[in-house]
Amino acid sequence: MKKNWKKDDLIVRSLADNYLPIAIVLGFYVILHGNISPGGGFQGGVLAASGVLLLYLGYGFRGIASALNMERMHKLEAIGALAYVFFGLLGIFAGYNFCRNILFDSGSIGDLWSSGTIALMNYAVGFKVLTGVGFLLLLIIALLATEPGHEHDGTITTTEQEALERGDSE
Amino acid sequence: MKKLILALSLIVILCFGVYSVVYMQQEIPITYDGRGTDVYELQQNPGDYDVSDPEPDGVASIIVKENLEKTQAVNNVTAIVFDFRGYDTLGESFILLIAITGATVILRRRRDRWEGGK
Repeated sequence: MKKNWKKDDLIVRSLADNYLPIAIVLGFYVILHGNISPGGGFQGGVLAASGVLLLYLGYGFRGIASALNMERMHKLEAIGALAYVFFGLLGIFAGYNFCRNILFDSGSIGDLWSSGTIALMNYAVGFKVLTGVGFLLLLIIALLATEPGHEHDGTITTTEQEALERGDSE
Repeated sequence: MKKLILALSLIVILCFGVYSVVYMQQEIPITYDGRGTDVYELQQNPGDYDVSDPEPDGVASIIVKENLEKTQAVNNVTAIVFDFRGYDTLGESFILLIAITGATVILRRRRDRWEGGK
């Protein structure tokens, strides 16, 4: 690969623009309907986290670095794990054992809000996997992008706009 | 001050634990407690598992037949993962957290070059 290869691919960027909302909406649908349809927290979280890769494909390393905050994602993952433990502890707060389903009869069978703490734990795990896998992908992308000689390490211009800003003329 | 807060929260958790021990035997449907199953006999002689019985014993038949009235979750797999085996999912999610933390530690030096995303 040539070192001065410029990444300004309109087709890939348009496809990423179109598929990013679909991927995120599908992921959140699978998380939300985890208790009434095939799927669940883990699967939906990974689906929604694939939006990070689509963003990377379309806008490169700089787009991702300006859109997402790595540290915040890592903290949100811990919050998701704590939420799972909290919903498990609801059973203890009500006077029963850990992971007891105390809200199991709030809502009718087949509705979105049914099955009590199963749905709540499902959302917590979905949030946790979404932020965790997103953070992992960001970590890998950062590792790739900070290799010396990579197009995104700041020494090679990647878009025409950037080349105009830096005054490069090729 | 920190120690006082820690002690207070531990006392509160202990009170909840004692409360739960006292009120453990109430009418919420428990998912499976091994009632009516001779686990030792089943382990000694798995061929004796009676499948022709309309109400066979064991956790499998409870999961399949009494899932809706016990959990009200239409998706059976979700009911197993988050209710019957809640501890399993807890461990899995913490394994994911620990794996990501380990990857962060290993790749720390590279990540510093990014300077937090800017």
